[in-house]
Amino acid sequence: MRTLLTLLLAAGAYAAPPSKIFPYGYDLYDLPNGLRLLTIPTDFPNIVSLYTVVSVGSRHEVEPGKSGFAHFFEHCMFRGTKRFPPQKWEAVMKAAGAATNAYTSDDLTVYHATFDKSGLESILDLEADRFQNLEYSESAFRTEALAVNGEYNKNSSEPAEQLIEKLRATAFDRHTYRHTTMGFLADIKDMPNQFAYSKQFFDRFYRPENVTLVLAGDLDPKQVRTMVEKYWGPWKKGAVAPQIPVEPPQTAERKAHVPWPTPTLPWMMIGYKVPAFAENMRDSAALDLISSLALGRNSPLYKKLLLEDQTNDVLQGGYENHADPYLFLVYARVKKEVDLPAVQDAIISTLNGFKDNLVDAQRLEAVKSNLRYSFALGLDNSEAIAANLAGFIALTRTPETLNQVYDLYASLTPEDLRAVARKYFVASGRTIVTLTHQKEAK
Amino acid sequence: MKSLILLLATVTLLPAIELISLPGQSPIINFRFVFRCGSLNDPKGKEGAAALTAALLARGGSRALPYSGIIEKFYPMAASVDDQTDQEMLTITGVTHVDNLEAYYSTLRDMLLDPGWRPEDLKRLRDDQLTSLRVALRQQNDEELGKEVLYNVLLGAAHPHGAVSALEKLTLADLQAFYRQHLTQANLTIALAGNYPAGFADRVKKDFSRLSAGRPSALKRPALRPLTQTRVTIVKKQTRAVAYSLGFPIAVTRAHPDFPALLLANTWFGPHRSSNGNLYQRMREIRGLNYGDYSYLEYFPRGMFQFEPDPNLARRQQIFQLWIRPVEPPTAHFALRLALHELERLVEKGLTESDFEETRAFLARNVNLLLKTKANELGYRIDSQFYGIGEYPAYIRSAIAKLTVDDVNRAIKRQLRKDRLEIVAVAEDAAALQKSLLSDAPSPMTYNSPKLADIVEEDKLVSTRKLGLQPAQVRIVPVDRFFQ
Repeated sequence: MRTLLTLLLAAGAYAAPPSKIFPYGYDLYDLPNGLRLLTIPTDFPNIVSLYTVVSVGSRHEVEPGKSGFAHFFEHCMFRGTKRFPPQKWEAVMKAAGAATNAYTSDDLTVYHATFDKSGLESILDLEADRFQNLEYSESAFRTEALAVNGEYNKNSSEPAEQLIEKLRATAFDRHTYRHTTMGFLADIKDMPNQFAYSKQFFDRFYRPENVTLVLAGDLDPKQVRTMVEKYWGPWKKGAVAPQIPVEPPQTAERKAHVPWPTPTLPWMMIGYKVPAFAENMRDSAALDLISSLALGRNSPLYKKLLLEDQTNDVLQGGYENHADPYLFLVYARVKKEVDLPAVQDAIISTLNGFKDNLVDAQRLEAVKSNLRYSFALGLDNSEAIAANLAGFIALTRTPETLNQVYDLYASLTPEDLRAVARKYFVASGRTIVTLTHQKEAK
Repeated sequence: MKSLILLLATVTLLPAIELISLPGQSPIINFRFVFRCGSLNDPKGKEGAAALTAALLARGGSRALPYSGIIEKFYPMAASVDDQTDQEMLTITGVTHVDNLEAYYSTLRDMLLDPGWRPEDLKRLRDDQLTSLRVALRQQNDEELGKEVLYNVLLGAAHPHGAVSALEKLTLADLQAFYRQHLTQANLTIALAGNYPAGFADRVKKDFSRLSAGRPSALKRPALRPLTQTRVTIVKKQTRAVAYSLGFPIAVTRAHPDFPALLLANTWFGPHRSSNGNLYQRMREIRGLNYGDYSYLEYFPRGMFQFEPDPNLARRQQIFQLWIRPVEPPTAHFALRLALHELERLVEKGLTESDFEETRAFLARNVNLLLKTKANELGYRIDSQFYGIGEYPAYIRSAIAKLTVDDVNRAIKRQLRKDRLEIVAVAEDAAALQKSLLSDAPSPMTYNSPKLADIVEEDKLVSTRKLGLQPAQVRIVPVDRFFQ
């Protein structure tokens, strides 16, 4: 058990961007069952945000036919317990004026509520109950599967969804990043039949060792600890480590095409295999900097494609933190299909340029400054503070990671970036997918 | 004494810039420039001029700096400028860290007061605006499409981004004319928040007095098309599912005495993206018809991407609207019937005493969350000025504290209705949906799991509900006809 770390910087909270990028003091506390509690008192009055971060996502969907299950399970978590059936759950949240929701991604599932501080204890009780005693009927489960199908339907007109689905399926052979968090449509259609599996999923993964409670707002950490121990303390540990298949090294460039049935601007997505976040945090940080240097609004490529030539109306992407090796992604949308090959060449030669040339020191400093100020500008309310931390918490369970990453940014040199570019921007690790209106694969 | 002089100045020297200054401890400095003009001021044949003017100011160069130079300057600060154009408000927002305030502000000021009007900016931003209508709205977001078509057919007004054929022809001269006529001191409110130095807000106001004085822009109210019977517009396009938006114009805005009561009623019936609304519970939670179902008293674009509405979309003419997220085509007829059934129950039965009390307690607290950022607080203040009400959360809290359940149910009866609706569906097999709706044939539901007896009974009633539509009331329109 850790001692109470009251690194309180109430005065420092506004001295951004300070030497430590995360300007708030916090209390980090591990319960004996493995649950971690992170309390961040802020000076935004009356409001509290609770982010329950479960380090389980679509990465955990190892069995065939189960793609999309982590996200579906997120829905099931709203189907109640004996003590708090859904309507009662809603009533408690409603009494606190709470705005609630949840989301799932590759490596995490997050349940969040922002509410009046007077509701803190009742909401901690309510949430602890569903994480320990979730109990829904098969009938409710089957109905919820239909809502997930509805979610797929509402997304289905957006080509970018199909583009990433195709890119993942092409770039990965074995790892679960092969599928999106939403999952394959055939698996979604079969979800109503997976009642027994859903119980297993809960039993295996929804355990305190996989969960961090992040509370930000008008809070007293001592009081929060007492409440969390009372309601979350009895939760039994017993998480099962998922057997996630290891992706074999990619040995040659891969390509695919998506013919799109309705009018769209042509899309291209390029992905390079890159390391997991925690596996090599220094390389990850260097890739973050390259993301901004190569694709940011201030990059020569962005200015050429969007402002000068105006061939594109979208250019974005970069490195994303993941638990396992994932992709450095570039999304590009062009106005005319005829420009796709030239844009592809421009993107690839820009990334190759980082292997051959040292980046200009002044541009590197501009990017470092941008990252620090972007972060500082994002901390404008308690909910944003909790939300900004959630992704890091899912991967490493401590806000110190944030400080570490920004310290790494500060320490990286042009030579470091060149070395990292040489390691990862290789043709054999590349996958290219295009999407155009009604054309067959070329 | 000084404040007295200032007060006199605002009274006697109309029109003048309104200033809202909220100095505070935050290093995040928020700027909000709201002009009381918008797409309703677009000249005929130049629909899109307001939005494109705003885009050119916020996403184009100043006379001194091309846009690439502005990006270059803002990038190390992570500072930004954004724009939003609606029917009656044109908004430019900016945010910077206090460390960079001077460098940021001097550039922002030049962008707004001395725009570059470069042809390459026009080309790029016009392309973006055309894509937002032609591709994003018509093809890639059936839900937003349904909502915007509903506004289009009810109010007869163009989309705030304009019309494709007009946008294609807009020139820099058109935008400059719009700028000169409408981006004036008379139309402007400046709002600032954050830890800026003393005197800064007054300085900004003084700088912006370089705008022409102007007169308040005449904003014609949208001409309501008479709605004497229910009408259905089926927007035909290729898609997997069927998306609905339906509603009717209402006389209520935040300025209306019935607003707090209707807000409470709507918060019970269909709060945005919340699982505790009645409509959501009946359609999605119990029956799994789709991903969610909500209702609205005010314009709320981009709702699929955000949980809270953006401020500065104030309008004098609002509609009451149901948003039914995409349903599987075989259940489309039933889903519409159920939505109408729930609307009828709302209008006829209203809220129970306990619905009322629970919702009032919720709303009194939840309304505070709308102002969790300073940027929103500034925006809400400006909207409150527009509507002539007090600070929004306080106004709502005090107004709902005085209400009874009978007040709410009477307001529902006065302002809402169950018939004479405009219904918009986005569907691929438009002919099949049209035929099904006109036939009034039963649309029984089957589920993948057993339902409770009261739901089975209710379904019997709902699945045979008559719409009584005549062929002239149900039209099919290809998607390309909208926003053209």
